[in-house]
Amino acid sequence: MKIAYDLLLTALYAVFVQNMVMSFGLGSSEAIRASSKPGRFISLAAMISGFSVATSVICKLIDMFISSIGFSYAVRVAIYGGVLAGVYFVSAFFAIVLFKASKRTMGTLGISALNTLVLAVPFINNTASYSFADSIGSGIGSGIAFVLAAALINRGARRLAENKDIPAVFKGTPAMFIYVGILSLAFSGFADSTLFS
Amino acid sequence: MKEKSPSAKEVLIKGALIHNPILIQCAGLCPVVAAATSLKNAALLAAAVSLTTIFTCVFASALLKKIQRWIRMGIYLILGTAVIFPLIFLLESQSKSELSLVLKIFLPLIAVNSATAVHCEQFSVKNTVKLAFYDAVAVSIGSSAVLLICGAVREIIGYSSIAGHRLNIPTTFRSAALPFGCFIILGFLAAILKWISAYRYPNLVADSETIVRVKPKKDEIKDTVEVEVFDEFWNEEPEEAPLEIDEYDEIFDSLDNIFDFSGEEDEK
Repeated sequence: MKIAYDLLLTALYAVFVQNMVMSFGLGSSEAIRASSKPGRFISLAAMISGFSVATSVICKLIDMFISSIGFSYAVRVAIYGGVLAGVYFVSAFFAIVLFKASKRTMGTLGISALNTLVLAVPFINNTASYSFADSIGSGIGSGIAFVLAAALINRGARRLAENKDIPAVFKGTPAMFIYVGILSLAFSGFADSTLFS
Repeated sequence: MKEKSPSAKEVLIKGALIHNPILIQCAGLCPVVAAATSLKNAALLAAAVSLTTIFTCVFASALLKKIQRWIRMGIYLILGTAVIFPLIFLLESQSKSELSLVLKIFLPLIAVNSATAVHCEQFSVKNTVKLAFYDAVAVSIGSSAVLLICGAVREIIGYSSIAGHRLNIPTTFRSAALPFGCFIILGFLAAILKWISAYRYPNLVADSETIVRVKPKKDEIKDTVEVEVFDEFWNEEPEEAPLEIDEYDEIFDSLDNIFDFSGEEDEK
């Protein structure tokens, strides 16, 4: 029961309190790009969560082994990158061989793996000394956080596209950046950040 | 059909300014937004981004042209890690204390920098090694400039210092160091870059019509941007044989509008 509680709590924390996309900017490029493709939200959430959970769990197991040996942090970086690459290749292989995945699915799979949000999760788990349940929770939460951010950007982008009062030089990416910044400010409020000093 | 190759200058201007990876293509935002909170951090990140981009793009152009796209994506990740690993090892061996949070979490993430993958897929695997190198250098210059400007501005506004030297600013705006502050700075930088590009290089901007649209009205920017981001990276690219195209514009001309919210879903 406690494991389920920890898992859920960490997932909720990763989605709302410290939304990894909005509060840290992790995976923000992909979230902005994904925002115009709402049809891919569910598959993206599932793939990002899947990659994050798989990478986190494997890295956690490796951490338990290498922490007793005392490797340098650089070795840990190489291992985490290698684990993500391995998880991606295995997933892609099974997707092609077993499920005859379409090019669209393979494209989404690649974008999900080559995402700073996914690689950040095991590093955050390590830095925050998360347990197994916490690691799984943060992995699941990262996928949901990504889609929440993409959906919020999507709603704002529609309004921006309709707004004729935006000055010409601010149309497009500049207006999008400022809108995402305001969204990020809202999430900073959840994280109790100090704005002035 | 093989058309004339773009000059090195043209590739550099387009890669660094007209199609700036961060400000125009929205790629590689994570290091800027999350970690470039001071000039020192920004310089370190800029070096790491440049090394990764140049190495990966040249490698992709030289050896990965005939490999399937889904395999290439994994190779980019491995190549990125291969570049970042010795860099962190070097920093770790020179550092007397424990590595900072930026080095521990955000520097390794440059291994999966989307700007690198986008340019490898869009340009490097379709062009000669020489042009891929020029493009990678241009992307590195464009990314580094944005990283350094954001790092400096955020340090001045957020911490009242520059490169660690204290400045006498009575009020600091701490949120400049948060992602929120960086997104706002990026918005203004993107607007400034668009304005400069349209006035300084109107021909190059007009050539890239699918990226930046400028009505040919004298001394006036009109109806400027409709499209600014590489979309081909997101869409399903046919697994065709490596292209013979050397013309930069032809690649960019194939891009669609990522900010197209007309209700149409992806083409099937």
